Amino acid sequence: MSSSLVRDVKQVARGWRWTHRQLPPRSAEPHHVFPEAREFPTDWARSPVAVRAREAILRGGLTPLVRHETTLQVEGLDVLDDIDGPVIFVANHSSHLDTALLLTTLPPQWLRRVAVGAAADYFFDAWWRAVGSALVFATFPIERGGVGLSETPTRLLAQGWSLVMFPEGTRSPDGWTRRFRLGAAYLAARNNVPVVPVALSGSFAAMPRGRGWPKPGRPPVHVRYGRPVHGLPGEEPRAFGARIAGALGQLLDEDRTDWYAARRRAALEATPSPAGPEVARWRRVWESSAGPAPVRRRPRAWR
Amino acid sequence: MPRPGFVLEVDERTPPLLVHSGESFRLQDFPLGSRVIYPPESLPGVPDVDEAIEQALLHPLDSEPLPSLLHAGMRLTIAFDDLSLPLPPMRKPDIRQRVIEHVLEHAARAGVDDVQIIAANALHRRMTPDELKAIVGERVFRSFFPDNLVNFDAEDRANLTHLGMTDENEDVEISKRAAESDLLVYVNVNLVAMDGGWKSTAIGLASYNSLRHHHNSHTMVHSRSFMDRHSSQLHSSAWRMGRVLNEHVKVFQIETTLNNDAFPSQYGFLTKREWEWSMRDQATFLGAKRGIDMMPAKARRKLFQSMEAPYLVTGISAGAVEPVHDATLERVHRQQLVDVDGQSDVLVLGLPYLCPYNVNSVMNPILAACLGLGYFFNMYVGQPLVRKGGAIILNHPVPWEFSTLHHPSYVDFFDEVLSVSTDPKVIEQKFEQQYATDPWYIHLYRTSYAYHGVHPFYMWYWCAHALDHVGDVIWVGGDRRAVARMGMRSASTFADALEMASDTVGRSPSITYLHSPPHVLARVNGSHP
Repeated sequence: MSSSLVRDVKQVARGWRWTHRQLPPRSAEPHHVFPEAREFPTDWARSPVAVRAREAILRGGLTPLVRHETTLQVEGLDVLDDIDGPVIFVANHSSHLDTALLLTTLPPQWLRRVAVGAAADYFFDAWWRAVGSALVFATFPIERGGVGLSETPTRLLAQGWSLVMFPEGTRSPDGWTRRFRLGAAYLAARNNVPVVPVALSGSFAAMPRGRGWPKPGRPPVHVRYGRPVHGLPGEEPRAFGARIAGALGQLLDEDRTDWYAARRRAALEATPSPAGPEVARWRRVWESSAGPAPVRRRPRAWR
Repeated sequence: MPRPGFVLEVDERTPPLLVHSGESFRLQDFPLGSRVIYPPESLPGVPDVDEAIEQALLHPLDSEPLPSLLHAGMRLTIAFDDLSLPLPPMRKPDIRQRVIEHVLEHAARAGVDDVQIIAANALHRRMTPDELKAIVGERVFRSFFPDNLVNFDAEDRANLTHLGMTDENEDVEISKRAAESDLLVYVNVNLVAMDGGWKSTAIGLASYNSLRHHHNSHTMVHSRSFMDRHSSQLHSSAWRMGRVLNEHVKVFQIETTLNNDAFPSQYGFLTKREWEWSMRDQATFLGAKRGIDMMPAKARRKLFQSMEAPYLVTGISAGAVEPVHDATLERVHRQQLVDVDGQSDVLVLGLPYLCPYNVNSVMNPILAACLGLGYFFNMYVGQPLVRKGGAIILNHPVPWEFSTLHHPSYVDFFDEVLSVSTDPKVIEQKFEQQYATDPWYIHLYRTSYAYHGVHPFYMWYWCAHALDHVGDVIWVGGDRRAVARMGMRSASTFADALEMASDTVGRSPSITYLHSPPHVLARVNGSHP
């Protein structure tokens, strides 16, 4: 009797995707009344207790893990010293490693007041994933289906929380940057907060789509924080978004070469496009898979 | 706004689907690509039932208003559908009670003294006083029972009248009281398209002498289907008889239609589309299934038989039989009709605990077969859901169990008749007369609560069209001996049933599951996909 109960429960759990969001059969969609989308509540994940728990998890678990599994190089954190209020961190996105790289490299005072925008249909389609990502990564849901931004990010900025956003909307399939959506620019302009571009290099090579763990051999990953970009009076979000994308492109260029060379190219409006070369897909993937140049070891004085 | 019915194509997102199986139900995974026919959602009920009844009586179709047909000194007979309708029985007050009370209010105002109320049970069993009271209500019961609220007795020769023959030489013999009344008011509950029209009076109040003309294997095989009046020989015969009846007695027909709210709200998952089940529905299903499976058989039956449907009345029409019935069919179709493209190789049916003939009783193997192959198979307009030579997979435990109170002739039919032949035509020729005229069965029918001796034959004839049409009938979870006695096969699981059916329909058959109850009527177009 108990075995048949277990069998029934398993059948129901599997059939109704207890671990995921239930979807109607395709042929039933025209006849389906979709319930009004309710945003998964994440306020609890920003409570003092949750913040302390997250800090403990990140500093005690994730940071050592990231540093153990990758060769991490962080640059530009000094730009945050001059900023007081909330900002929107905008980064390129090609790996699940990216959020971890950002959170584990932010100074503690910033880490305690940052929330990460995450795709509602991916990170919030199962309760366990939603709870886990909200607790560990301080995520809040963002609908990607053209529904429009909820009031949550605006409310968070007003409460002094900084946001992390990946304006590409999804992980790059080939390591190069995709077209930026305007949500981050719109939010920054509307709430009059600066945008801090963050260039992430090597995460695609270290842990591309389809991998759940970084490649062995401690692949190099670089996190480079750039100077904040402020919206101009009367500036349209589209124009502001283009400036943000430009700033991120220069940061990526800087990461590949050096600061001065990148500045020179920027002055000549010759910054290489972060969207990568227009060549066959395999060549784009091939180049991205190589990753950034490894960190050069300091010359040893004594051999 | 209720959503229409539709045909689902099973894909990887489709959860397992609810399948009824007697006094239980289960979830069944269907192969990808299977079609599932879902009924339309329940239509809203009329806002004020009493007002709707009054409007129907005062503004009838092709008839004078009821008050103008009533006068002092007249003989008024009110006949009504018996407990075979609706299924499950309706939560009180039953719509028949409300209609009869309205009719009687008018009769009282007109000063009618001679009123007889007859349950039109034909060869069905008599109803107990409590069952009568449940249908007509306490006021009517107290005013008329036992002398003027009666079950129809089709074997009371003194109270039958032979009205004549139809143009196809069919006897029209019905209740004498009804035939000799100044006005016969018929109060119907129309659950499916088969009910109502002339079937109410010409069958419900008829004797064996009349019924044998259409309740036979030939008529049944050529009723395609019973749910499509214009393609049903059964209905054609009833309509011919109705015309004879109409020449002798004024009939004021009142037909009522119900929506699809077949189960109480606590069993809401039974009428919901599975992918829309909430966590609560899933938990209710698991709890209900576990509870039901653990219950002793007697308690389980009591639980199911005590279920009352919260049906809402979707409309009431009154007046001349045929225009009233046309209006009824329009409402029934609105509630139940679903368009389906083409037939399939396999038709899957889940049979619930109840059919018209086991209310407060046991569903024996013959009734289970009749429910599946008679009623559910015939829920089509156009052409059957399964192709000629295809297979039917039925879900029911088919217990070898009979009520000797209600179905005494079924016991003998199952033992003596089906063991000789399962061919409806053969058993009709060889055994029907013997059972129809057996004095003991007639005695039990008249004085106890037994179905008439010939009734199991009729149940078997209901299956005749399906048996003639399909190549294989397989019961999932059916008692092997009982199923074998009926000349069919039993499988332990649905997968086994498909494996067994592969002899008939191959290894990649097209499958259609009729997701019922609640009732759904498939209008099948086109050809085999």
